[in-house]
Amino acid sequence: MTGLTPSFDLGRTEGRGLRETFRGYLTAARIGWAVEANWADPILFFTYSVAKPIAAALILVVMLDIVSGGQAPAYRRYVVTGVALWSFVQGGFAGLAMSVLEDRERYRMLKYVYVSPTTFAVALLGRGTARVAIGGMGALTTLAFGALVLGMPVDPARVDVLLFVASMALGLVAIIALGLGMAAVVLQTRQDSWSYPEAVAGAMFLLVGAVFPLAVLPGPVQAIGLVLPLTWWMEGVRRSLFPGGVSAVGGPGSLFTELTGREAPDTPALLLALLGTTLLVTLAAAVAFRVSEHRAKDRGLIDQTSGS
Amino acid sequence: MSLYVRRGAGSPTDAARWSRRRDVMTNLRSVIGRAYPRVIGSTREPSWVLFEVLLPFLTTSAFVFVYRALDAPTEYVGFVVLGGAMSAFWLNVMWLMAAQLWWEKDNGNLELYFTAPIDLMSILFGMAVGGLLATCFRAVVVLSIGTALYGVTFSVEQWGLLLVVFFLTLSSLYGLGMVLASLFLLWGREAWHLTQLMQEPVYFVSGLNFPVGRLGFVGALAISTIPLAVGLDALRQLAFAGGVASFGTPSPEVEALVLVAMTAIFLFAARFFLRTIERLARREGRLTARGQ
Repeated sequence: MTGLTPSFDLGRTEGRGLRETFRGYLTAARIGWAVEANWADPILFFTYSVAKPIAAALILVVMLDIVSGGQAPAYRRYVVTGVALWSFVQGGFAGLAMSVLEDRERYRMLKYVYVSPTTFAVALLGRGTARVAIGGMGALTTLAFGALVLGMPVDPARVDVLLFVASMALGLVAIIALGLGMAAVVLQTRQDSWSYPEAVAGAMFLLVGAVFPLAVLPGPVQAIGLVLPLTWWMEGVRRSLFPGGVSAVGGPGSLFTELTGREAPDTPALLLALLGTTLLVTLAAAVAFRVSEHRAKDRGLIDQTSGS
Repeated sequence: MSLYVRRGAGSPTDAARWSRRRDVMTNLRSVIGRAYPRVIGSTREPSWVLFEVLLPFLTTSAFVFVYRALDAPTEYVGFVVLGGAMSAFWLNVMWLMAAQLWWEKDNGNLELYFTAPIDLMSILFGMAVGGLLATCFRAVVVLSIGTALYGVTFSVEQWGLLLVVFFLTLSSLYGLGMVLASLFLLWGREAWHLTQLMQEPVYFVSGLNFPVGRLGFVGALAISTIPLAVGLDALRQLAFAGGVASFGTPSPEVEALVLVAMTAIFLFAARFFLRTIERLARREGRLTARGQ
């Protein structure tokens, strides 16, 4: 005998509970941040993180001003808040799927991540966290730009903090859940799927009333928007920051008003709708990811690069 | 006798001395060879039609509904539809050309390109041709469905000039793509971020969804430097003749001349930069290795 302990550490294969899961999550988040930010030139990284959402907001502000002649300040607030919040969606939703693609196609590490003791979904959530943080940076900068340059300051005395915190917490869960669902999709695709997450996010941009009220959409499309938690999340955050502003959900010609007879949802109804749709999406995403993971393992898709 | 039959040569220098015909034919074959995987690849998994054609159409539609929410004239909806179609070409140039050499380096193929007896411009041109199929399809879908669904009415008086401007826009865009491909390679692993940076900010200064003349000095600067800005503005003026599209910008004829100049400058610059990176790769062994 060499004196080494003969007993095998079962924790290496079975995991060591919540503490180990959290450690794995933190490590993945650190890697995600390193890939996104530390490896890039800081000036370029900052410019990229900030210029994208600000430019997106400016496109809409110019469109708005051309038509309204600068006479629609409420709608301007609506648009800028929508674009700012959309940074979270672009970061969080696309983040998880891009982690799968980057690890599989570019770094060729997905199979090693998969066989590591950390649960695969936890590793992906960690990687996605970094992108959510970057999205948050873009959102804050866009709101600050709106306040300082576009003349739409947030009045701290009027901010509904409780509604803001509750909406943001539920909204972020919903974004991550949708991202997990997208990760499930790209685990299966065998072709160049790099543009897929952004394409799906772009399609949702139409459905959730990010930059215009849902009332201008046809009824069936509005119905799809009302089932998505992002619609309620944006409505909640908008209402908390700018009370009494334009509603994305209700108003003349909206399906919501037609069904409920109310001009706009009240705050409890809004939060309830956000909670319900978030639960629904989270459940659907968890099932989709489990099925996709099982199929990918079964068919050897995890280490099969497409060379795209 | 085939061009590719090996003939005996007195020295390596003689062996490397090709006839003009053989040179041209080899480069043409490399264009086809590089375009082939993109064309064939797109038929292997049809999911790209949903993700790269139909869903981006919905993104364009979002901007249409912004104008609708504001009760804007239909002409503005037409601007969005035209911008949505042209953005497909910009994305193709950015992702499938500008970022591609860096991407090939990451995949380990770049060394093969540099050692092959072909011009790098042929490789890049092949990429463009291969990617054009899907891009044109996307542009046509956005334009045709957008026109039909949102009731856009075009008012074209100079079809010839419209076509000339369109092809000049494409040639200058792909010329710029070649320049950026070599620059992105020189700048290292920032290509991803740079490509991202060249989307919304460029869309804004190019006036993707509104007449670029509304941006004043910024718009004028964009017209003199970005092919998307000048091409889109000229196309808009020609497609919606007599409307608000001609606000504060040069006439389409002048913009066509700007595009000619851009095409010449970008192709010349691309040749220079591609030669530079080829020299760095061959003589100094730099740029090609993965992770470098």
